[in-house]
Amino acid sequence: MKAWQRLSLRARLSLLNAFLLILSLVVLGWSSYWNIWQLFVDSKGSHLRARAKPIIEHWLSTNNLDKPRCPGRNFNAGNALSLACDLTSRDAVAIVVDRKGEVLASGRRLSEEPEAPPPDKAYLKRALAGENEITHVVRVKDTRMLVLLIPLRPLPASPCIFGVVQMSAPLDDINQILFRHGSMLLMLALVLLFAGSVAGFWLTGLSLRGLRDLLDTCNQIGRGNFSVRARVRNRWDETGQLASAFNRMLDELEAALAAQKRFVANAAHELLTPLTGLRGSLEVLLRGAQDDPVASARLLKGMYREVNRLVRLCEQLLGMSRLESSYVVKRQPVILPDFFSDFSSQAKSIMEGRRLVIRQGPHVTVRTDPDLMQQVLFNILSNAIRYSPPDAPIQIGWRLLPGQVEIQVADQGEGMDPRTLSRVFEPFFQGKSDKSPGEHGLGLGLPLAKSMVEALGGSIRIRSKKGRGTTVFLTLPL
Amino acid sequence: MIIIMDGHENNLKFNILVIEDDPVITEFLRTGLGYEGYEVATAGDAASGLRALREKPYDLVILDVMLPDIDGFEACRRLRRSGSDVPVLMLTVKKEVSDRVEGLDSGADDYLTKPFSFAELLARIRALLRRSGKRPEKTRLEAGSLTLDRETRRVTRNGREITLTPTEFRLLELFMRYPRRVFTRETLLNRVMGYEYDGGSNIIDVHVSHLRNKLEDRPPKLIRTVFGAGYALYPDGQGS
Repeated sequence: MKAWQRLSLRARLSLLNAFLLILSLVVLGWSSYWNIWQLFVDSKGSHLRARAKPIIEHWLSTNNLDKPRCPGRNFNAGNALSLACDLTSRDAVAIVVDRKGEVLASGRRLSEEPEAPPPDKAYLKRALAGENEITHVVRVKDTRMLVLLIPLRPLPASPCIFGVVQMSAPLDDINQILFRHGSMLLMLALVLLFAGSVAGFWLTGLSLRGLRDLLDTCNQIGRGNFSVRARVRNRWDETGQLASAFNRMLDELEAALAAQKRFVANAAHELLTPLTGLRGSLEVLLRGAQDDPVASARLLKGMYREVNRLVRLCEQLLGMSRLESSYVVKRQPVILPDFFSDFSSQAKSIMEGRRLVIRQGPHVTVRTDPDLMQQVLFNILSNAIRYSPPDAPIQIGWRLLPGQVEIQVADQGEGMDPRTLSRVFEPFFQGKSDKSPGEHGLGLGLPLAKSMVEALGGSIRIRSKKGRGTTVFLTLPL
Repeated sequence: MIIIMDGHENNLKFNILVIEDDPVITEFLRTGLGYEGYEVATAGDAASGLRALREKPYDLVILDVMLPDIDGFEACRRLRRSGSDVPVLMLTVKKEVSDRVEGLDSGADDYLTKPFSFAELLARIRALLRRSGKRPEKTRLEAGSLTLDRETRRVTRNGREITLTPTEFRLLELFMRYPRRVFTRETLLNRVMGYEYDGGSNIIDVHVSHLRNKLEDRPPKLIRTVFGAGYALYPDGQGS
């Protein structure tokens, strides 16, 4: 069993195939051999019977035995011998047995004529009882002989049986033919077995080629080459489907990996810019600017700003990773009109004098996490504030959709072009605008809002037109 | 770079234009380069930077790659297309080889990745200015009776050779570069011993006293102790 398990799939399938081939060839060969033997024996038997029938009829009539009454003395060793002689030929010998089972005469005269086997008691009894077609094979000194028993009766279908003719013929000729046939069959079977095994080995290799390709691909990926893809040879069979599924999985993984790399690169970029300011300012201070109070104050203020930027960045990064790993959503019923009246009073501090208009929607209760929702809305709101003029109001409204509620946050700010719009959910992405870098956020507000909304089981989308303002749509399940 | 002739600061300063949008980086570059004796102008985006370059000749441009309007590569290409051959030093965060290649292909002369060391920036500025060959930097500094050769590391006073330790050599080089300027002990410590030296600043007093012993074996005295501030070199012999 161990050795079997250690074999390759191809070897196992090939062995199984060869085994089935041998089994079917053996069964087929043996049954065909047996059938032909039977056919030969049957035809020989009928041939002998057909030859014996007119001879016996002629003998009955010449010896006056074809009378309805049962013959007594008319049947004797003399006429029995003449019958046996008539029936005996080169390939068959006849003996005649009387009603008591005693051999009356044997037809064998010449030495080349086959020797007759002694009649079998049991078969003889059945023949004397009236059974017509008794044929059996006996072995006499290494040769098999076909033995026929023909009951002797005065007229066909007469119940009176006065003797039995036993005809026996050697089966050497049949054996010879069958030996030749069998050898040919064996040769053919061996050829078929060889060809079948080779073809089986080749075919299993062919159908397992996809798997082997996949294995090669896996090994290459294991060595760090992530760009390779498995070859899909036939997209209809299982290995082809496996390869396509595998490739799809690789694409997904590669995209995720690339996104992660991009994220790390962006994060590093965002960290390095303030660090450049810090390092340079420190160096300039150490190189002598510290002696000048005016220059020191300017540099220190800049450094303080950069440190704050780093702290904010780290906090956002931390928030991001926390959200992506395991965010605990504490759902509770939230009545939207109440939630938004609370929210508008809390938002006053960040509105920088702008008006926040809550447009009352339907009285809806949503099962969601109010803290998380508040954070999402704060993120969206601070974006809206950053990119809209001080006198433009920001509107929040909501409406009911089948099975969910849609919240809209609309500003009348700068808006975005489609290219910017397509990238706003990328971490660290910042659209081009006339804002100075200090006024920019970190490019994490919307990505954070998106992951929070998704943690709540909802979705976020944005409609925006350059110069016309931006509307953010949040849909949350009820 | 300041060329010092007969102990007087050369009033022909190099003009450097800094094109950078980050206010903190702009600020420290302006202050730091100013302290090193460069005339610094700044521009917050590529358009105003290119405009400034058309209006006035500069000796060197420090160009950030990430600018709010067009990127630094494109700005550099436009600058070169306009026929300017001013040395350009690019600053960027990206470290990939392809970015460096693009930077240099776009016509930049050198490349520095953020966050860079200010000392390295100064070294590269000096190298670029030297290579641009417009006003080659002297390797020999002269101040009164003193000469200092930065290549052969020979120091003479009135033709007589003086042997200095490396620290004393750096100290004297700094003094000779900015004659009469008062350096505090802290500044001298940072610039001579390195930023990471965290011993006390009286080590500077020790080095200055050694330097004095070697230089001022006969009058007049050259190094002046400014009470409550630090030290300054008076090449014309008004030391104390």
